[in-house]
Amino acid sequence: MRRNISAIAVHGILGLYTLLALFPILLVIFNSFKTKNAIFGAPLTLPTPSTFSLVGYNRVFGDSAVGSYYVNSIAVTAGTIFFTLLFGAMAAWALTEYRFRWNTLLALFFSIGIMVPIRLGSVAIIQLVVSLNLINTRTALILVYTAQNLPLSIFILSEFIAQIPKDLREAARCDGLSEYNIFFHIVLPLIRPAMATVAVFTMIPVWNDLWFPLLLAPTGGKQTITLGIQQFLGQYITDWNAVLAALSTAIIPVLLLYVVFSRQLIRGLTSGAVK
Amino acid sequence: MSSPHSAIVGMGRATYLRLLVFFLAPAAIVYTVFSIYPLLATIFNSLYLYHSETKSYDYVGLGNFTTLLTDTTWSVPFWNAFRNNLVFFAIHMSVQNPIGLALAAMLSLPRLRLRATYRTLIFMPTMLSVVIIGFVWQLILSPLWGIAKLFLQTFGLGFLFAPWLGQEGSALITISLISVWQFVGIPMILIYTALLAIPEELIDAATVDGLNQFQAFVWVKLPLILPTIGLVSILTFVNNFNAFDLIYAMKGALAGPNFSADIMGTLFYRTFFGNQLQLGNASMGSTIATMMFIIILIGVMTYLFVIQRRMQRYSF
Amino acid sequence: MSEVKIRNLHKSYGSVDVLKDNNLIVENGAFVVLVGPSGCGKSTLLRCIAGLEPISSGTITIGGKTVNDLPPAQREIAMVFQSYALYPHMDVYGNMAFGLKFAKTPRPEIDARVAEAARILQLEPLLKRRPRELSGGQRQRVAIGRAIVRKPQVFLFDEPLSNLDAALRINTRVEIAKLHKMLAATIVYVTHDQVEAMTLADKIVVMNKGRIEQTGKPLDLYYKPANLFVAGFIGSPAMNFLAATVKDGKTLELADSQHLNVPLPAASKPGDQVTLGCRPEHMRLGGDGTLALKGTVDIIERLGETGFAHIRMATGQTIIAEVRGDPGTSPGASATLSLAPAQLHLFDASGQRLG
Repeated sequence: MRRNISAIAVHGILGLYTLLALFPILLVIFNSFKTKNAIFGAPLTLPTPSTFSLVGYNRVFGDSAVGSYYVNSIAVTAGTIFFTLLFGAMAAWALTEYRFRWNTLLALFFSIGIMVPIRLGSVAIIQLVVSLNLINTRTALILVYTAQNLPLSIFILSEFIAQIPKDLREAARCDGLSEYNIFFHIVLPLIRPAMATVAVFTMIPVWNDLWFPLLLAPTGGKQTITLGIQQFLGQYITDWNAVLAALSTAIIPVLLLYVVFSRQLIRGLTSGAVK
Repeated sequence: MSSPHSAIVGMGRATYLRLLVFFLAPAAIVYTVFSIYPLLATIFNSLYLYHSETKSYDYVGLGNFTTLLTDTTWSVPFWNAFRNNLVFFAIHMSVQNPIGLALAAMLSLPRLRLRATYRTLIFMPTMLSVVIIGFVWQLILSPLWGIAKLFLQTFGLGFLFAPWLGQEGSALITISLISVWQFVGIPMILIYTALLAIPEELIDAATVDGLNQFQAFVWVKLPLILPTIGLVSILTFVNNFNAFDLIYAMKGALAGPNFSADIMGTLFYRTFFGNQLQLGNASMGSTIATMMFIIILIGVMTYLFVIQRRMQRYSF
Repeated sequence: MSEVKIRNLHKSYGSVDVLKDNNLIVENGAFVVLVGPSGCGKSTLLRCIAGLEPISSGTITIGGKTVNDLPPAQREIAMVFQSYALYPHMDVYGNMAFGLKFAKTPRPEIDARVAEAARILQLEPLLKRRPRELSGGQRQRVAIGRAIVRKPQVFLFDEPLSNLDAALRINTRVEIAKLHKMLAATIVYVTHDQVEAMTLADKIVVMNKGRIEQTGKPLDLYYKPANLFVAGFIGSPAMNFLAATVKDGKTLELADSQHLNVPLPAASKPGDQVTLGCRPEHMRLGGDGTLALKGTVDIIERLGETGFAHIRMATGQTIIAEVRGDPGTSPGASATLSLAPAQLHLFDASGQRLG
């Protein structure tokens, strides 16, 4: 009996907190599909056939370059994931597998980036990007994000590579594979789950970041969706339909991705960061 | 490490070096050029003063730091931002992490149904961009829309409502709580995983010893997850002293009203880029960034050498 | 001819010597087992032969060719690992064919060799399965199959049976013995299990602390161990050792002042410290007392028809003797142990065999 009561209490608390977590998000999404009168008149109800309206979405997709901002975000995120995984896995492999004099020191060097936020170097990053003539390009963002995400990626992938049995790599050596082939044909396929984790782990902050798009690609049509929405909101601050639709436009794809990848993400959080 | 040439039989030194370069160079170059070099250059920049008229740099040693800490033009905003950042951090430590701990404790209860659902949903806000979250809450708290007021009125508390975001005394606290709301998922997940790693037999043993669920949590589980709580604390510290997006999104670079929500990140941005009130200043921007670097470094070092050293880690 | 010769092989990690001056010849077609306690260097020696570990000095030749500086793949060896080391992302066929593909072997040749190995090892129905869909014994066979398709000069086995359960281990042991006969293969096999060593080997190499203690046929090691280490390592339960002093040409005095009349080598002088060794299976409870030890029965372990009696001597040392049937005694009773004179081993003060 007591167990039952405490179970109900636990579900009550967790349920309430879940509501608190979801309410603001759902509120915005529901109201984005309503007419302006309904937004203000009955904000807490679901859209009904009589209050349903897509006027905000028409504004967002009609008046702005939201489509191209999505493309920018996808390109930047995909590019960052690709280079973070490839370079990160290569470095992690070398650091775990090969003995050389600077091994420990190099691992330590990479680990600086886990704790020290790269943002603090923004002044010099801008100067560097300007001097490389990469301002307002997606390339600049990809390079900076790759640098930012490499340390954690190397750290997580190293742990997974270290778990590949030594026998397996040696069997490959007996089978006559070159070190390069061992990496590409044995190691990479085996750490695929870890790479999925790192990918999700990299994707979210890159997609959501405001700082570097603001600094490195604020204009010229290379804005990411996060920055684009932020700029759009600034312009249409009084048009509630447009504002709510713009927010929903930014939220919904992330939520969908999250629902698909939440297992990987949570595994990533737990495997990489706890140790 | 004894092997002078290579750890691989039958591979010459040159081949081995080529192998290492192939695997390590891409990561090392990108990381060094776009992360380590900028950090060092920023620190280096902070030792120079830029003259916009002559476009020249003068070495001033720690002069910029003296200016930042003593010249009232700079020191008043700096200390204001520092103090605000401490408040920001204190609210996260005293609200976000305890709530995260409590949620994790509940989620890790044995035989709990819907565990994965709760976990996934509560973590959801953490996924979204801070910019979006900031705006969503701005709308909810806006007197214009009146959702917050409507809510309080439902409970007969309508008189409590105020435009919290717009008032000097409450803007920072409100923003901090919004940030807590968004990021509570991180301590929750980290602590939850640590709790799951504790073997069930240990709790069974405690039950046999006569402890109830709550006592078992306090006396058995909590001591075992102290390292994770230490880690959560340092992550909170680093993230808080590096925060920018939320305040910029909600209040702009001026972090108003009257700089009452200004933290290190916004001060840095404003100083470097300039705004309606002042011109951009790369030297002072670098100096503030270096100060942030020092603050974060002190936090990380304290964690690594004091907290983590003293904490016993257990493996099961 | 696929003979393996190891001369003056030395290996160290920093200042730690893990292999000291090893010399060994593995004749063509021989089954040589390296055995010893964990950490004795047997696996390291095998890995040096494979080319997975660089050596510090000495030479290794395989089939008359010095292979010191050759990578594993060019040594014409194949290795079967303790964990089998099957590639989890490839099926059985892929695992066996993998090395051949990288050696640019023509496809029909690969198929033929894999088919042949699969036939020998009865793996034909499993070729499309992934390693995780196989039982321990099947994985073991795939690992061996992967070695066979390479047609190596020498097979190297690193504790291949240690991950199998007891029943399967005996089966597989027999399979490996048959395979050795059928392929007429040269095999170097590492194990810590002396039963495997005794049953499989043409020649056993006993190692300890990086040194080869003795090399010889299984029964030679059993009947004529060269030193205390080998005497204690081969045989289960281990040989009993008794410290003794030479009294005169044919008498030993034990630590508890009992005297034993045993044949001593001519060279021994009165006062020499020696160790007397006798295996439990060469002792018997009771007897006439001409070559006998006196003590008290501590416990009797019964395993069925046979068992082991633990007899405590006056010095406190416990001697283990095999008993058959009903020992006719019980703990606390005094006991006499008769030793078989032909099965006694004597070692000098430095642990080397006398006579």
